[in-house]
Amino acid sequence: MPEAAISVAALEKFFPPARTGLRALLQPFEKPSVVALAGLSFEVRPGEALALLGANGAGKSTLLRILATLLLPTSGRAQIAGHDAVLEPRAVRRQLGYHAGSDIGFYARLTGRENLRFFGSLNHLSKASAAQRIDLLVQQFHLEEALDRQVRTLSSGTVQRLSLARALLHEPRVLLLDEPTRSLDAIAASEFRRFLKSEVLRRGHTSLLFASHTLPEVEQLADRIAVIDAGRLLACDTLAALKRTTGTATLEGVFMSLTGPTPHVPLEDAPE
Amino acid sequence: MIRTLRELWVFFWRDLSIARTYRTVFVLEAVEALFGVAMFFYVARFVDSPQLSSSLPQGGSYFAFSLIGFVFLDYLNAAMDTFDQSLAEARDSGTLEHLLVTQTSLPVILAGSAIYPFVSTTFRIAVYLAWGALLFGFPLHDANWAAVAAVLLATLLAFSGLGILSASYVLLFKRGNPAKWFLLGVSSVAGGMLFPVSVLPDWLQLVAKLNPVTYALEAMRAALLGGAGLHAVLQPLLVLILFAAGLLPLSMAVFAWALRRTKTTGTMMHR
Repeated sequence: MPEAAISVAALEKFFPPARTGLRALLQPFEKPSVVALAGLSFEVRPGEALALLGANGAGKSTLLRILATLLLPTSGRAQIAGHDAVLEPRAVRRQLGYHAGSDIGFYARLTGRENLRFFGSLNHLSKASAAQRIDLLVQQFHLEEALDRQVRTLSSGTVQRLSLARALLHEPRVLLLDEPTRSLDAIAASEFRRFLKSEVLRRGHTSLLFASHTLPEVEQLADRIAVIDAGRLLACDTLAALKRTTGTATLEGVFMSLTGPTPHVPLEDAPE
Repeated sequence: MIRTLRELWVFFWRDLSIARTYRTVFVLEAVEALFGVAMFFYVARFVDSPQLSSSLPQGGSYFAFSLIGFVFLDYLNAAMDTFDQSLAEARDSGTLEHLLVTQTSLPVILAGSAIYPFVSTTFRIAVYLAWGALLFGFPLHDANWAAVAAVLLATLLAFSGLGILSASYVLLFKRGNPAKWFLLGVSSVAGGMLFPVSVLPDWLQLVAKLNPVTYALEAMRAALLGGAGLHAVLQPLLVLILFAAGLLPLSMAVFAWALRRTKTTGTMMHR
């Protein structure tokens, strides 16, 4: 049995309550009491694409940020390629690419190439291997025209593809995507998903864990789906198995059946 | 070691590349420096007297004395501002979390982000002094450049610790730079920036003696105006180095703790 690309066990995360006014000064020191993750456990296999499906506030981004070493869990274990996200953060970062799904996160006055070179160097790529990887990814991601333009002049969709190229620059084993099409219009989002499927997932070298509340995105990209609500894992299986288990015919039906009437923001059913 | 130097270099290259896209800023800063130097020259001409000159540590003109105080303040500002401003910019531009998921360590990210601001401040100071020397008779002929460089380096190291403490504060509380307000507030009175410490009442002279800015300015004026060599500025240099040796590790530890705290509370990207 090959080692899991991502392994999460009994993972819990509590945040301190949000404060305003003068009490906000004490917020960094307050006892965490707001539950974001309540004992999540699951694995992502090598080469697999697992979707985290949940409404806003379900805990998807919190989970991804713990795996990306940007947050510390309250308890439990999060591992990437066998490395613990708390105890071995640098080893974890070596294995992961992270894409936050927004069109910020670049130096707007540098060109796409300059940005990629910069982040490549920080990921310890030599000048030659960075140039080689950039050439390859630019071809794959159709970024030829954008590469030597300042990022501030690029469209949101192009910046998203550039961001994905950055995440893949150092050939990570695991790709974490947090609502990857959040800031794209419906057409650009659809193109981005097609592109992700054909250029990243088809090659099978990289495991993908992505958070989404867009149903078509989950259906199109995921091998398995983890349904999360209020920090709890309600189910984790293939779409067909989830439909069978819940006795429903659609992913929306699966979600509603598992979570019940939800007070959260409704899921987005973007047209393809 | 080579890898770390390369990482530091790419941060400098990043900031230089960004700065190059704002070319007119270089010209505007040079013009601003000219007006700044002219202002000090005419203020000095207005207040200069033989009595005033004789009370200055190296003698000479009040123009030279006050210009050094002023440009040194620029350096102090850079050391105190660079870290928290880099951090706030990275947070606001969304690059902070992308920097933190790279394999480069946080101390290198912090140090790397400070290199360009320090280099550009050094150039700005050079422009101020060049205007002063070319147009207003600022006496550069006696300067001991090796001692000047040593004092600048020790000053940077000493005050960078305070800058990193400020960055820790920004990480936790998002706005404000209390270390800078405090130090610059105290130093503007009891640091010897625009008037010699000797004119202060005894209790303020005691405050000035505890203030590292006083030592830095004393050494800088001695090296730049009095031509003092490394040996002559050894005592203030040692004070600055001791200050740096205590404060830098402490500030790094505080920053690491603050970062850990924000990773626990989830407030790293909050503004």
